[in-house]
Parts: sequence; C-alpha cells; structure tokens
Amino acid sequence: MAILQTENLTKAFGALTAVNGVTLSIEAGSLHSIIGPNGAGKTTLFNLLTGTFVPTSGRILLDGKEITGTPAHRIAHLGLARSFQRTNVFPAFSLLDNAWAAAFATGPSWKGLLWKKTQRYTEVTGRARQALSDVGLSSKENQLAREISHGEQRQLELAIALAAAPRVLLLDEPAAGLSPEETRKMVALVRGLKGRYTIVLIEHKMDIIMSVSDRISVMHFGALIAEGTPEEIQRNPEVRRAYLGGVPTALGGVAA
Amino acid sequence: MNLKIPAIVAAVVLLPLVVRHAIATEIWIFAIFGLGLNLLLGYTGLLSFGQSTFFGSAAYVAGFLLKHYAINVFAALGIGIGVGAASALLVGYLCVQRSGIYFIMLTFALNQLFYFIAYQWTTVTGGEDGMPGIPRPAMFGIDFRDPLNYYIFVSVLFLISLWVMKRVVESPLGRILQAIRENEVRAEAVGYNVPRFKLLAFVIGGAFSGMAGVLYAMLFGIVPLEAISFVFSGNVVFATLIGGSGSLYGPIIGSFVFIWLSESVSTMWARWPLLLGVAFVIVVLFFRGGVVEAWSRFWLWQSSRQKT
Amino acid sequence: MNLLFGQILNGVATGMLYALMGLGLALIAGILNIPNFAHGALFAVGAYLMVSAIGAVGNFWVALVVAPLGVALLGLLIEYLGIRRLYAAGHDYQLLFTFGLSLIIAEGIILIWGPVGISQLPPQILRGGVDLGFTFYPKYRLFVMVVAGLLVVATWLFLEKTRYGAIMRAGIENKEMVSLLGIDIHRLFTVAFALGAYLAGIAGALTAPIRGLSPGMGVDMLGIAFVVVALGGMGNVLGAIAAGLLIGVAQAVVAAYWTEASVAVIYLVMAAVLVFRPQGLFGIR
Repeated sequence: MAILQTENLTKAFGALTAVNGVTLSIEAGSLHSIIGPNGAGKTTLFNLLTGTFVPTSGRILLDGKEITGTPAHRIAHLGLARSFQRTNVFPAFSLLDNAWAAAFATGPSWKGLLWKKTQRYTEVTGRARQALSDVGLSSKENQLAREISHGEQRQLELAIALAAAPRVLLLDEPAAGLSPEETRKMVALVRGLKGRYTIVLIEHKMDIIMSVSDRISVMHFGALIAEGTPEEIQRNPEVRRAYLGGVPTALGGVAA
Repeated sequence: MNLKIPAIVAAVVLLPLVVRHAIATEIWIFAIFGLGLNLLLGYTGLLSFGQSTFFGSAAYVAGFLLKHYAINVFAALGIGIGVGAASALLVGYLCVQRSGIYFIMLTFALNQLFYFIAYQWTTVTGGEDGMPGIPRPAMFGIDFRDPLNYYIFVSVLFLISLWVMKRVVESPLGRILQAIRENEVRAEAVGYNVPRFKLLAFVIGGAFSGMAGVLYAMLFGIVPLEAISFVFSGNVVFATLIGGSGSLYGPIIGSFVFIWLSESVSTMWARWPLLLGVAFVIVVLFFRGGVVEAWSRFWLWQSSRQKT
Repeated sequence: MNLLFGQILNGVATGMLYALMGLGLALIAGILNIPNFAHGALFAVGAYLMVSAIGAVGNFWVALVVAPLGVALLGLLIEYLGIRRLYAAGHDYQLLFTFGLSLIIAEGIILIWGPVGISQLPPQILRGGVDLGFTFYPKYRLFVMVVAGLLVVATWLFLEKTRYGAIMRAGIENKEMVSLLGIDIHRLFTVAFALGAYLAGIAGALTAPIRGLSPGMGVDMLGIAFVVVALGGMGNVLGAIAAGLLIGVAQAVVAAYWTEASVAVIYLVMAAVLVFRPQGLFGIR
C-alpha cells in the first residue's frame, strides 16, 4: 500500500522548473531511492514533500489524504521527518538536547510547556536516547554538536530525524562528505533502519543505492525518467544516457 | 548547585546598606526589565530595540489608574503585566514575520509609534512633562511610601521574577527558543511553529517589561516620557549585553553596572548622554563579551603583573 | 481643496527626502549588513553643517555641495575606524556601537551649536512662492522636490548602469560572490557607508530651510528611515520612492486636519501595511 504519493507535482522558480510533473508512489515499509544528476530537482522534491516550499501545481498525499501546502512545522507532526544534505543541527546543544528538541516536538503531550523542567519528560528523553543509540552516538550524548566530527554530525543529523518517531524518513544524502570508512558505517546504519521505517533516500553514491534500495526513481531536469527495481534501473538505457552522457559503462561500475 | 542564588539574596539584603534606597530599588526594577529582554535577546536570538514600548505603556496605563482611580498595588501590577504582554503581542505580531536587520528596525519603528502617541496625547500622558503624581498606596497596613518598605516589596518581586524566568528557561519552551536561536530552519523542520514561539517569547518578555514599568512609575511617582522612548530601549539592551546575554544572570549584573554608571555620569555633567554614548562605543570596541570577560581579562593582567 | 493639494505637494517633497534617507540606510544595511542607528544623527549633522557652511562662506550653493561631503567624510571615518572592526561581532554590538555614536553626535551638536532650535532661510532666489494655478506654492519646496528626485534618480542610475553600482547590488545579494570576483570588499563597504552617509547628509542639508534645526531632528528621522526600508526593502530604489511618498503624503494630509497625529500616522501607516503585506510593499525577503 502506498503511504506517500505525489501527483503531477511541479515547482517553478521563475523561468526554472525545478520539479516538473512528478508522480510518485512510495510503498509503506519500502526503501525508495531517488537518484539523478546534480540539479535534477531531488532536494527541491524533498522541500516540497516537507512543506518547505509550496508546489506550483500538483498534489501530495499521505495515507491517501491530501497534505499539499501544509506548512513545514505541521508536516513533522504528520509523521514525516527529514535529514538535510548540509548538516543542519543545533550547534550549541548537546547531542542529547539535539535529539530531545525533535522528540519533544512530536511527543505525546506539550503539557507543562512553560513550566515543567525538561529533565522531567522521561519519555521524551528516552526517545531521544534511543535515537542516539540507533545511530551509535550514545557514548557522546553530553558533547556539544559543534564539537563532534563531521561524520558524527551526519549521524546526529539522522538521529534528529529518528527522534521524531516518524513513519516516513526522508534522507537527503546521508553520506555526503563522508570518508569511505564513514560511508560504510552510514550504509550499515541505513540498512539497519530498513523495515522499521518507510525510507525515501536521495543519494549520489551508486553502490549504496544499488545495494539498499527496494525501488529507485530517476530524476532528470526536474522530471521522472524511470522507475523500477535496482536491476531494472541498471539496465535502463535512458538512465544511462542521463547519467553518463551516453558512455556505455555499467552503472554499478561507475561509482565503485 | 551553585552560589548564584545565595549571592543574589545576599546582594538584595546588603544593597540598601550601601546605596540610597531609590537607587537600590531601581537596580532590581531594571534587572526585571533586563530579564524580559534577555528571553528574546539571549535565549531566542531576537534583538528587540523596542522594549520600552511595553515598559512605558504599562507604566502609563497603571500610573493613570493609580492616580485617578486609586486602584491598589496588586491591581496595578496585574494591569501592568497585562498591558505589557498585550502591547508585546501587537508589536511582536508585526515583527516576527521579518528577520535580521528588518526585525530590529521594526521593533524600533513601532517603539516610535507608541512614543509619539504618548508625546502628543498630553491630556493623559502629560507629553514631555511626563505623568506626575503617581501614588504608592498602602497595602495590608504596609506604607509603601517608606523607601525601605518599597525596596523590600520590589526586591521580593524581583526574586519571584527571577525564579519564574528560571523555570521558563529550564522548561521545554526555553529549550525550543534556544533551538530557534541555534537553527531556525531545523526548529521548523522538527515541528515547531517558529513565528508562534517567537511571539510567545515576546509576550512573556513584554509581561516582565510591563511589571518593571509599573514598579518604576511607583518608585519615582512619575512616568517620564523617556520611559517609552528609544533611550530606555537602548539602555536595557546595553545593560543586558554588558552583563552578558549568554546567561540568565547576565541582565542582573548588567543592571548593577548600568544604574551605577548612569547615576555616576548623570551627576558628573549635564551632557551625560554623551558619556553614556562614549561608554557604549568603548564597550563595543574593547570589551565585547561583557563584564564577565572584562573581569577575567583584568585578572589575567593582574596576575601577569604580579609575576614580573 | 486647495489646502489639500498644497499638502499633497508638501508630502511629495518630504516624501522624496524620506526616500533619500531610506535609500542611504538601505545601502548600508543591505551591503554592510549593519543596523545603522547613527543614520538619523548623520542627517542632523548634514543640516547643522549646512547652516554653518552658509554662515562661513555666505553662499547657499557652495554650502549645499560642501555640507553633505562633510557628512560623507564623517561616514567614511566612522566605517574605517569603528564599524570595520565589527563585521563579525553580531547585530547586537553593531547596534550598540551605532546607537552610542548617535548619542555622541546628538550631544555633540548641543555642545557645538547649542540646545536651542535654529532657523535657516532659503537662498534669495528660492524665497517666496510660485502660482501653480490651483495653489500658491513656496519655491524652495519645489526646489527640494526636484533636487531630491534627481538624487534618487542619480542613485538609481549609479546602481543600475555603472559597474561599481552593479557590484554594490551584487554585494546586497551575495557577498561571497563579490569576494570571489576579486573585489576589495572592505573598500566596497567603506564606499557604501560613505555614500549612505552622503545621502543622509544632503537630505539634512535640504531640510534645514524647510523645518529649521533642532538637536532631536536626527532621531525623528531615524525612525522614518527605518519605516522606508521596512516597507520598501533593501537595494530597491523604486521601493524606497514608493514607501517615502506613501508616508510623506499620508503625513502631510493628516497634518492638515489633525496636526498632533501627523508623526504617529507615519508609523500607523507602516503598521497597517505590514498587517496586510508582512514582507513590505514589494515583498522582498
């Protein structure tokens, strides 16, 4: 069953159409990757799904209910959480407080918002700790976000998304700027999340995509040009053209 | 946990022995004013240059009712807090939709709106002459006209304000506001309505300013036009920054320094705003980071001198 | 009815002065990313220098050239000696610094020129009025309208048609790009501040014969300049003109019927516009 759908989703910035008539259907529980060359409109698509931008036309549906135009801060409460391509954390907060801020937002109750001490929200703190533990940062929960390494900040980025206890995770290049060793760790992490959440993944590194995805959608100049299983996508000639400018190399071999 | 609370209580007890009661009282009033600003400036990262809007509006309204309708002290305080919060809601609503320099300019421009209304509405506010004759009515048989009694009253209110603000900044709201200061985009993405929270910070800060305004009016028996002017807005920003906007207690230190500074320069020379301006410039150019940093630098210098 | 037309004309003249103030402030705010709370003080200095220059050389026209240049020089010094050290300091300290400067300048004016207001006559040739058919209108105000209009157009031409103007506009949009182009960003900042100060100075110099001088004139103008920028946006000449004219005319018309409210109405108009258009007249940022 599809949990997240778009119908003819379009976003134009003046003369530039960043996302052009995208119709997409994400199956519940699947890991669905979105690939495409730089500037293909992947991040803009995420910004539409998360309410950062309002689409020029088209619709977005969550559980079959229309959510088009819902502001970003409401989207999180509907069970959609995202990580950012550029690390986007709360630098002066401890790692635990980073996750806590996200966990509280979508927590069971805002009772005591102005008065109750933060430490006394044990359930929220528990969720925040669980999220840090899911990404392997438990031992550093009291360090400040600005003091940890880039690789760890990427993990924290993911933990903030997880702390919201979402149903759908939108991950925008979680391995951006990581070393091969860190990338391997991140892939293992994402693979570990598979099945627990519906995941929509934007990624450039083709080996990651091919090994973890259930389905792949390919974007080019704002439009979807192909969709299928990893094998189907690897065989698709149009995808090769878009990606490789006609160079006849096996897709899997390029990124490896 | 720390020595700050005992230190503050000690200061409350000892201060009237050292300085005139009126000055001691003014210090705590200004500290309440600063606490309210710092929720915006230090915790939310919003530089409001219009805090005297709330301070002055509350002072005028409560002062008017004290003077003409003989309301009691607690009613005056309640009304002042309400007027402060309500005016902050109005101003905040227009300001939180913009950010950066636009935001600062708007807080100032709306401050000017309130100022010019007070300036021209002379039948009520007295315009440039201020609104004199504000009483300090007795309550429960306590004569607040006695400077020491009033000092005790104000300092107790200050301690309550400090406690309330401490609870607010240690609550989820405090953390959310800091999250907004740290990263507005992410705060929005994890599910906080950022403008709404900024507005809430405005209203709480406005309530504190309003209370300070009423206490100020009762202290001096007059609401001077300056109480709603940019001068007061600037002063409280200066005091908060000099004390250090990074901590809950910064505005308290700042209030001490500012009241001491303005009291001493104002007796020195009729053109004392000039000296104040010079102080602002010197602090900005040489002592950014506030008193705490200046103090530690002084110690470094002292200890290096002793070694040689 | 004639009164109303006359007031609208007055509003256009002061509105153009407001536009000049807003333009100068927007250049500084947009390019340097600094909230310049000394902008009103620079305006006041322009007016006082004008009076002193007229007194010294006895010629209005020479004074009109010299006084604003003096303000530009003052702006240059302020940027070079002070603001330059504060680009990384955050708006709070930048604000405190420029606010401190405005206090120093306002008090300095009282020390040099005295606390009492001063009046200044227009030059002989611009005294009296002209018959516009529907109303008899002071020549000097027409002159101000024309000169301020020309200055706004000149600023627009500079920003739109010259290379350095294009760099300035780029500086408002994207400072990193300007640095990447190999342009000395520090010099750009100094020039922008001096230019902003010049516009404030000439607005002050032109105002002197209309309203006379008082030490508090700077602060009053500061708030108005903020209104122009808040409504018109930064780096948008058309926005500045529209915002300046809007509040100038609103003020003048209200002044005809309810003098006491004529200043407050400027801010009320701003508040009203923001209720319906939170991002300003042209919705910039």
